[in-house]
Amino acid sequence: MSYIRFENIVKNFGTHEVLKNIDLEVEKGQLVTLLGPSGCGKSTLLRCLAGLESVTSGRVYLDGRDITDVNPKDRDIGMVFQQYSLFPNMTVEQNVAFGMKMKKMPKDTIAAKAREMLEIVGLGDKLKHYPSQLSGGQQQRAALARAIVTEPKVLLLDEPLSAIDALLRHSLQIEIRRIQKELDITAIFVTHDQDEAMVMSDVIHLMYKGKIDQSARPTELYTNPSTKFAATFIGHYNVLSAGEFARLTGEHIDSADIAFRPEIIKISDKPVDAGGCYGMKGRIQVSLPHGNILRYAVMCGDIQVDVDVLFSGVVPFETGTDVYMAVPRDACIYL
Amino acid sequence: MKNRKYVFLLALIPFLLIAFLYEIIPLAMVIINSFQPDAGGGFTLENYSTVFSKLLYRKAILNSIKISLLSSSAGIVIAFLGARAAHEHGGRLNSVFMTVLNMVSNFAGIPLAFAYMILLGNAGFMVNVGKEFGISALADYNLYTTNGMSLIYVYFQIPLSTLLLIPAFEGVRREWKEACTLLGGGRNVFWTRVGLPVLMPSILGTFSVLFANALAAYATAYALMMNNISLLPIQIAGCYTGEVKIRTGLGGALSVTMMVIMVIMIGITNRLSRQFQKGVVRK
Amino acid sequence: MKKKNMGAPIIMIAILIYLLIPLAVSIIYSLFEKWTRIVPEGFTLGNYVTLFTDQAFLACLGRTVVMCIIPIVLTVFTVLLALFVTTVYFPNLEKYVQIICMIPYTIQGVILSVSILSLYVASPTFLSNRVVMLFGAYCIIILPYIYQGIRNGMRAVNMPMLLEAAEMLGASKLYAFFKVIVPNILSAVIVSSLLAVGIIFGDYVLVRNLAGTSFQNMQIYLYQTMKSDSTKSSAVFVVIMMVTFVITAVVLFLKSREGRQHIQKRVKE
Repeated sequence: MSYIRFENIVKNFGTHEVLKNIDLEVEKGQLVTLLGPSGCGKSTLLRCLAGLESVTSGRVYLDGRDITDVNPKDRDIGMVFQQYSLFPNMTVEQNVAFGMKMKKMPKDTIAAKAREMLEIVGLGDKLKHYPSQLSGGQQQRAALARAIVTEPKVLLLDEPLSAIDALLRHSLQIEIRRIQKELDITAIFVTHDQDEAMVMSDVIHLMYKGKIDQSARPTELYTNPSTKFAATFIGHYNVLSAGEFARLTGEHIDSADIAFRPEIIKISDKPVDAGGCYGMKGRIQVSLPHGNILRYAVMCGDIQVDVDVLFSGVVPFETGTDVYMAVPRDACIYL
Repeated sequence: MKNRKYVFLLALIPFLLIAFLYEIIPLAMVIINSFQPDAGGGFTLENYSTVFSKLLYRKAILNSIKISLLSSSAGIVIAFLGARAAHEHGGRLNSVFMTVLNMVSNFAGIPLAFAYMILLGNAGFMVNVGKEFGISALADYNLYTTNGMSLIYVYFQIPLSTLLLIPAFEGVRREWKEACTLLGGGRNVFWTRVGLPVLMPSILGTFSVLFANALAAYATAYALMMNNISLLPIQIAGCYTGEVKIRTGLGGALSVTMMVIMVIMIGITNRLSRQFQKGVVRK
Repeated sequence: MKKKNMGAPIIMIAILIYLLIPLAVSIIYSLFEKWTRIVPEGFTLGNYVTLFTDQAFLACLGRTVVMCIIPIVLTVFTVLLALFVTTVYFPNLEKYVQIICMIPYTIQGVILSVSILSLYVASPTFLSNRVVMLFGAYCIIILPYIYQGIRNGMRAVNMPMLLEAAEMLGASKLYAFFKVIVPNILSAVIVSSLLAVGIIFGDYVLVRNLAGTSFQNMQIYLYQTMKSDSTKSSAVFVVIMMVTFVITAVVLFLKSREGRQHIQKRVKE
């Protein structure tokens, strides 16, 4: 039996159904991400595990025990919130000690463990600082230390890095992942940022409209989306319906939709005759550099297809150029 | 877990106890009493007919409204000028100004009446100055009338209203002023065409606070004239604490009248302020 | 290019003069033996000496302090409890608490005092005790200020998240409220309590109507000396004003400190 198990979870806010029959399992020692757009129910699912929201129906199991009706404070779960959850009237050390004090641990153990944990998160020199004296990143490190110092069964992270600027966010992602592996913590991470999910997770559960849309390892989710939503939300696939696709290529497919990544498309201003490809024609609407990638928006009638090429400083095709595109058949995903 | 939360309703008991014992039941009783004869029991409108027919009470109502309107109008004009000056002028003078406003905002009631007696009473300092230099406006100033007293009312309205208006001026953006200047409007054009209309809801709101403040003011008037002036609060208190018998019915009717006047004023200012709120985004 | 606008400072100075003259005149009056013409005569501190050796004055000073402390502690505590229960467990009851707390704002002293008086004066129970009535009335008259202070403090600290964080660490909600939330809104509570002290200290109408002139607080004392001895009463006046000013100064100081902390926080973001 898996370490954490959600069984048929339904959550309604009034008449609004936020979670629709969620079944989900998490293995011990893994970092699992709930990824999805805002309002998809990912935070609510996390809060149901924490006990901060009650479920409308369904059961939640942690380490073989049914915790559905257990008080949050007795669930043995650590949680890192968005910013400003540190108690502003307490020093960093007192914040970290709080949970241990609640567990009535001996004083010297508390002091030693708090110091040790703050060393691990890199705040060994900030013990006596108040939260308002720390930067956003430091605050979240302290919050992490506070959540894991009591060695909870599972660590929940509810968009902990969303308020932190991009550069620092990246180093914190790696840091959290390092600590999680080092201390062998089971963790559930909630985010709306797919890059963050890709970097950090063992498994990503993509959520959409209160349901799990796809569960997969990061690389698999990227290369092999199984739904239209997964294909558009992860890594910018071109998704066309069968009808649209037929108009563009004259070919018929058996599935409802077809998806292909922008960078697999070959583009040229002369007709290309490549075997094993679907061929399309269009006119370049606009071209924009994204770092080392140049992205063309190509209009094929009223349908837009995005094409990525490596950007080496020159723009080969001007806006308005008529172009020919070839999409390798074996790189297409039929949804 | 679900049912246990109702245990916490017990924590509301101390609050509700105090609120009911000393706020809700007493107020309800005043309203009920106003419709009953002093002897108790039954229903009557007699108390209200006394209030509106007897000259003493009619005069009290009129005097109260008059002094409240007068002092609030004067207060709001001075507060507007003062708050605008504070808004335009920074620096040391501004912080002195703010500190003094805060300090004297508690200066009211008996102490204020006392200070004015020393200043403008029968042998007050200013009266003496007036006599010495032949300024008859000062020399003949009579503090002990409704009109004479309104100067004190104006005094306690100024700090209150200025402190209430100053935050509103933060909503007058410098960009508007700059745009107005670039479009060829001067300072007066800006304030009459843009500044005042934008501030109007705050001004009206402050005005109704001032009005209520003046209407209910008791200590100042009592300190100067004791029960010998017809103002609503004095007459109300007189019904309950006078040497003669306690008249709860009449006192209730007067109290209700005073509350109704306040509510009418709040209604009028809210109504007017909605006229000005069109297009102004409230934060 | 920019025309220096002299209107603003002139208006401010004029208002300052208008506000400070009555104070200045009263202070000078208290420091001299005689002031019947333009120039006061005979500088003396005698008024203050008599005042602070007067047992009755000291007694009423102490009485006023007691009259401040008990209702404020009571009101702060009950409002804290009420707001804890409503914000954490029964958010839909919160607006009723708010209405109850804001009513005294509009009815003010006179009506409140006479309504309490007429209701309890004939009661055979302890409720007819004049001092009990006065305590009750003070609790109500300061309610709006205490309520708003606590409410604003709660808004500023993101109470729901802090409570959840404490709960995840194993604290009960009640413990979390008093150990985590209350310390963080303490300065807001102190500021509103001081405002309440100012109100009770400056109260005349409630104490006169409810307790009568036999129960002397500072205002009653001033009123009574005013009728007999105007130089002595000017010293009482100065003492009252000093106390009020000290309270306001502490409030201003606490507020500005709090404001600075907020700005620091925002810079860090």
